[in-house]
Amino acid sequence: MKPNETKLISPFLVFFLMPGMQIGVGILGFERVIAKEAGQDAWISVIISGLIINILLWMCYKILGRGPQTLDLIAIHQDLFGKWVGNGFNILFILYFILISIIIIRTYLEVIQVWMFPSVNVLMLLTIILILVYSYVVGGFRVITGFCIIGLIIGSPLFLLNYFPLKHAHFENLGPFLDHSFLEIMKACKKMTLNYLGFELILIYYPFIKRREHSQKWAQLGVVCTMLIYLVTIIVSLAYYHQEQLKDVIWATLTLWKIVDLPFIERFEYIGVSVWMFMVLPNVCLGIWAASRTAKRVFGVRQRKMLVFILLVILVSCFFLDNRNKIDRFNTLFSQIGFYIIYLYIPLLFIWQSIVYKVRGHKP
Amino acid sequence: MKFFKGKEETDATAFQDNSKDFFELLKRFEASNDFLTFQFPNEDGYTISYFKSLVSAQQLHEQVLAVISNQPKKDLQQLKDDIPMEDIKETTDISVIKRLVLAGSIMIRYKKSDGKCLLIPCGQSVKRQTSIPESEYTVAGPKEAFVESLDTNLNLIRNRLPIPELQSKEFRVGSISQTRLVVLYIDGIVNQQLIDTVMQRIDDIDYDTIVDISFVGQMITDNRNSMFPQLIDTERPDHLASVLSEGKIGIMLDGSPHALIGPNTIISFFSSFEDYFQIWNLGTSFRLIRLFAVLFSILSSPLYVAVLTYHYQVIPTDLLPILISSRGVIPFPPILEAIVLEGTIELLREAAVRLPAKVGSTIGIVGGIVIGSAAVEAGFVSNVLLMLVALAALASFTLPIYQISNTIRLIRFPFLFAAQLYGLFGLALCSAFILSHLLKLTSLGSPYLEPLYPLRLPDFKDSLIRLPFSKQIKRPQFLRTEDRIRIRKKAKTQNSQSDIDE
Repeated sequence: MKPNETKLISPFLVFFLMPGMQIGVGILGFERVIAKEAGQDAWISVIISGLIINILLWMCYKILGRGPQTLDLIAIHQDLFGKWVGNGFNILFILYFILISIIIIRTYLEVIQVWMFPSVNVLMLLTIILILVYSYVVGGFRVITGFCIIGLIIGSPLFLLNYFPLKHAHFENLGPFLDHSFLEIMKACKKMTLNYLGFELILIYYPFIKRREHSQKWAQLGVVCTMLIYLVTIIVSLAYYHQEQLKDVIWATLTLWKIVDLPFIERFEYIGVSVWMFMVLPNVCLGIWAASRTAKRVFGVRQRKMLVFILLVILVSCFFLDNRNKIDRFNTLFSQIGFYIIYLYIPLLFIWQSIVYKVRGHKP
Repeated sequence: MKFFKGKEETDATAFQDNSKDFFELLKRFEASNDFLTFQFPNEDGYTISYFKSLVSAQQLHEQVLAVISNQPKKDLQQLKDDIPMEDIKETTDISVIKRLVLAGSIMIRYKKSDGKCLLIPCGQSVKRQTSIPESEYTVAGPKEAFVESLDTNLNLIRNRLPIPELQSKEFRVGSISQTRLVVLYIDGIVNQQLIDTVMQRIDDIDYDTIVDISFVGQMITDNRNSMFPQLIDTERPDHLASVLSEGKIGIMLDGSPHALIGPNTIISFFSSFEDYFQIWNLGTSFRLIRLFAVLFSILSSPLYVAVLTYHYQVIPTDLLPILISSRGVIPFPPILEAIVLEGTIELLREAAVRLPAKVGSTIGIVGGIVIGSAAVEAGFVSNVLLMLVALAALASFTLPIYQISNTIRLIRFPFLFAAQLYGLFGLALCSAFILSHLLKLTSLGSPYLEPLYPLRLPDFKDSLIRLPFSKQIKRPQFLRTEDRIRIRKKAKTQNSQSDIDE
């Protein structure tokens, strides 16, 4: 089931899809979580987990590149585990993609509630956003890729805002170097996982890339780019905040926007939160697209119908996530699931596929 | 076999019906009072019939009647050789007769009862002289514009592109109007698939009267419900000639002083042809200013509404007193204020367009100065908003293409409502909705947001910025031209890094 030639994207666009999917709401407040574990050495764990993600990405490409017929996760599952068990795994992945979307969308809505409109009607806002998501996803993968790229272009000026906290930075906060144990840094790495999630969608959209084999270097570069963005952000935050203070700031990056001092605008975070929508929504669109496409392949129904169904599921489930505590618990739970999926499931799949292909005497 | 047999039979019956149809056609012609039929030079002479209103009387007298009256009666074939006019047809084909007579041909029959006739093209049509372009006026550059006559327009283009590869394909569109439509392109440059697409869509046109090229434009665009125009409507022959050599397609219609150009990207709607008459750095700057003007024009009053309704914290402390003193007495919320003012501006614009030019300028003054200041004094709207709205209107006039300026005019209103609903976040939502539409839009099959998405860095050379002509070595990628190279000669590379020798 290969997509039409005209619906494919150029391989170098994968470079934008990686940060487009990985950078979303997480970056607005990831500092507190990892600094809690690793303190001033948190930036090391950003680098380490970034490198691990690169290795996992390499595994994904290996898994995808082995057979000419098994171009995506759905086909690979069916090939390795047979139709029924394979589809069971596929359904788990549909749920996983829906979960990603829910978590991103709900966290962003919470940001809007806390920072812009404390008394906003969440359900109505959510409905509007889901209609927006629908209008992108029906456009297909190319349109979503375009949204990723244009979103990055619109959102990227916000990284220049790091200039303002740097004016008040205390780089001595970063010392002493390597004061935390290896275990603590690895714990921080584990917490960092949630922020790198999204690269595994390559398992679904791989068939949509032209000259797929050449896209790997772009994908790796994209992940490195994500890593650098996280790295700059965490270093700026560590240099600006005091350690004790950072433990209490939920949205550290967002709070940094507050000190932006321009002659014609004050309280820049209002603009920042609004513009950040262009970084967040591509994640949601891509997640929901992946879920609906997997569902289409598994159940054999029209993707449009599946899309509407999934959007309704998201609408209903966000209805139950109505306070900070629930969202936080959901976030933690999801972080665990994501952790196991990428650190455990992908390597296992990789090894299992190697074994199966060796037994079958499959030649690549 | 049976199928073919059946077809022959129907052909035969059609042939028999022919002569009957011919007289029926004549009867229909004669129902109009401007259709003349008479015998010439005497009662036994030829039967001549034509539409008085379509035929040039001078040509008729000098080249047809003068020849006939001087010689004895011959059959039609010989007569055809005697008359010194080109493209004379001798036919019994009723559809040809109908078309040519209605286009101004003289019909000559040997006897009144004959179905066979000689058709002498002798048409005359009222033409306007070429004048200077009005909606796309430029200070520099050529000052001629298309007129309503298709042949004049084709002449203007052929004179600018004197190569045999410039090809024109003629169609007739409209079941009643039978209007001539011409597709122009340069063979060997343009993408063949593009021509096929356009021809296919023109073949699919089904409407009774096609009056103007804008009808065609609406019928052949990719998305017929989009507010964003996908085909440029130009009145400048120089513009058309230049994009033809870039690999685009031009469409012209008889009776319309405009040509359609496609495919386009959204950027081409913001670039005036005058950008090319200036040195590249000036051209680029003005193009960027225009782009900024568009953003300002769309966002200024929605931003005012968003900030004053929800996010007054964003306003710097020094600016706040000014806003307070200007808005303090106004009894309405910002959204009402903005809608009142924007509505007024739209009224003024619509009124100024409908009125004759001299009265129109008065309306501008009355509207702008009198109503504006009166509204502020009466305390209906604030000074600041009046200034913003006036500036936005001014900014929207910088757009070189008329169609897109209408889009920009209207698109402001959804933004206003979004700003009222969710403030700055609403603006972001609304722009995301428009972006989703633009991402899906195509113009004759090529993506609308082109150099931006799909990201094609080489095409930036003539989009947001315009680089010098020496850098325009290749044609734009999105046109997928058959001949990609524009400049054949290699630039001299010797001594590229010259030293200070003086």
